[in-house]
Amino acid sequence: MTDRSDHSRATWRQSLQGWLWVAPALLFLVIFVYGPALTNIRFSLFSFSAMSLDWDFVGLNNYLRLWSDPKFTTALTNNAVYAVISVTCQVGIALVLAAVLEARIFPDFSANLFRTALFLPSILPVVVVGLVWQLLLTPTTGLIDQILWETGLASWSRAWLGEPDTAIFAVIFVSQWQWTGYIMALFMVAIRAVPRDLYEAMEIDGASGVQQFWHITVPGVRETILIVTIITILGSLKVFDIVWVMTAGGPNHSSEVLGTMMYRAAFRDDMIGYSSTIATVIFFIALTIGLVQIKLQKDR
Amino acid sequence: MATARSFPALAVLNRVILWAVFLTLAVICVYPMIWLFLNAFKTTNDMFAATWGLPKIWHWENFSTAWNYGISRYLLNSLVVTTATVVVELSLATMAAYALVVLNFRAKAAIYTLILGGAILPPEVSLIPLFRVMAETGLYNTYFALILPNVAFGLPFTTFLIRAYMTGIPGELREAALMDGAGEARIFREVYLPLCRPILASAGLISAMRVWNEFIFALTFVESESVKTVTIGVMSFAVALRADWGVLMAGLALSILPILATFLVMQRQFVGGLTSGAVK
Repeated sequence: MTDRSDHSRATWRQSLQGWLWVAPALLFLVIFVYGPALTNIRFSLFSFSAMSLDWDFVGLNNYLRLWSDPKFTTALTNNAVYAVISVTCQVGIALVLAAVLEARIFPDFSANLFRTALFLPSILPVVVVGLVWQLLLTPTTGLIDQILWETGLASWSRAWLGEPDTAIFAVIFVSQWQWTGYIMALFMVAIRAVPRDLYEAMEIDGASGVQQFWHITVPGVRETILIVTIITILGSLKVFDIVWVMTAGGPNHSSEVLGTMMYRAAFRDDMIGYSSTIATVIFFIALTIGLVQIKLQKDR
Repeated sequence: MATARSFPALAVLNRVILWAVFLTLAVICVYPMIWLFLNAFKTTNDMFAATWGLPKIWHWENFSTAWNYGISRYLLNSLVVTTATVVVELSLATMAAYALVVLNFRAKAAIYTLILGGAILPPEVSLIPLFRVMAETGLYNTYFALILPNVAFGLPFTTFLIRAYMTGIPGELREAALMDGAGEARIFREVYLPLCRPILASAGLISAMRVWNEFIFALTFVESESVKTVTIGVMSFAVALRADWGVLMAGLALSILPILATFLVMQRQFVGGLTSGAVK
């Protein structure tokens, strides 16, 4: 917050002016974000379909039903696996890649080219990425299978998106392909803000690149690591589009995540109350993650 | 970064490994797009015969078929929705940021928290009630059904970015203008807006990319071909053309061509803009 004028308590007249300036933005958030989110919680206490006029109040029954729904367990697990793999790739690996690119190991021109190449997937629409990878992963005719055949690994060939054991991992892989380079570019910006002479001092002491990474880079970008981790976990919680495009939660619900499960319940199976229950679970998980972030940021 | 000076051979080996790793990653990231564009020129049979090679005959007509299949309309719809969203979102966010930085009013901290808090809520949590609102107000299946929620869900981050930038503008500028008898509206327009141009460009780019690629609202709130944006358009396109890979890929290629071209021409500004906010 700015402190310029905060010490004097605003008069109502002054306040009115300030409120008018923020009112449009606030109104949008209340009407399209907060209001619906709260309505959604209320919906979760009823059983009804899109067209039905009478709603059955069922209390917490939707929640009990969700708890014993095996698809819910699958979805939660998939979201969790999504988060773990994404944090590993998009925070861990991306940070290492960023550190290497910022360490002047490569000539500027090549470093820049590498950054552009790795960044490229992140500018593409998720839908297009999903469809292209669907084609790439098609058995026999797809590129991946052909590579496996050419390199003598034909026995590895499989219907990556068509088998319950691999579907969610194939989707998660594509997500890493798309976003690791973007997070890497974020880290590069953060690393550039770390004072150069820290590195030079350590280098004079004969420290290796790895030592410099742990002792200067990691502490230097700690704030960014925290924020990126939170964003990545939130992203894994709300993931919908890439899964919907590539597998739609299949085969046999094996790659279902909370988002696809919710969407299917509302717009395919017409169980609005049940769907709102899933959305409410997403809401509370997101809220918890948000509160953890605020707590962590206050602590430093 | 220091190389292991005492073991030059090791240092060279390290370098070779790093080059190999980055070259591999770069190929993995870029090649799928090259593959897409090359195969967009082939017939389905050519593709199955040789997915690697250059097209023997360049089937440019794949692109015109795809274009006439509806891609042109989807692109136009995306352009309308994206432009409108960015303009409204930037205006509201800049106004809010201005008040949060320079004005003094009650509940300011709470209001800022409320605006920022929107960033943690995913669209899923509001989707069903929003769908009902759209249906009841007649906004369903219009551009507004996409623009309004897109603005709302983009506001938190955009306001955050612009506010952070505005705190760096010296308050003396405003005080001097106040002395000269200027009102807040005029200071906002004539002092702050021009100074904020760089961050407005970045925030606008981030927001445009987000809206252009937006999926779940477009999937839920519109259904006619005449309002479908390109993300949903290519979905129906892909379903319709399951058997004709060449045309499908030409359609996908066309749908990303505008972004890709802009990115390749201004990649520095792009990466810079999209990563602003990485450090406070």
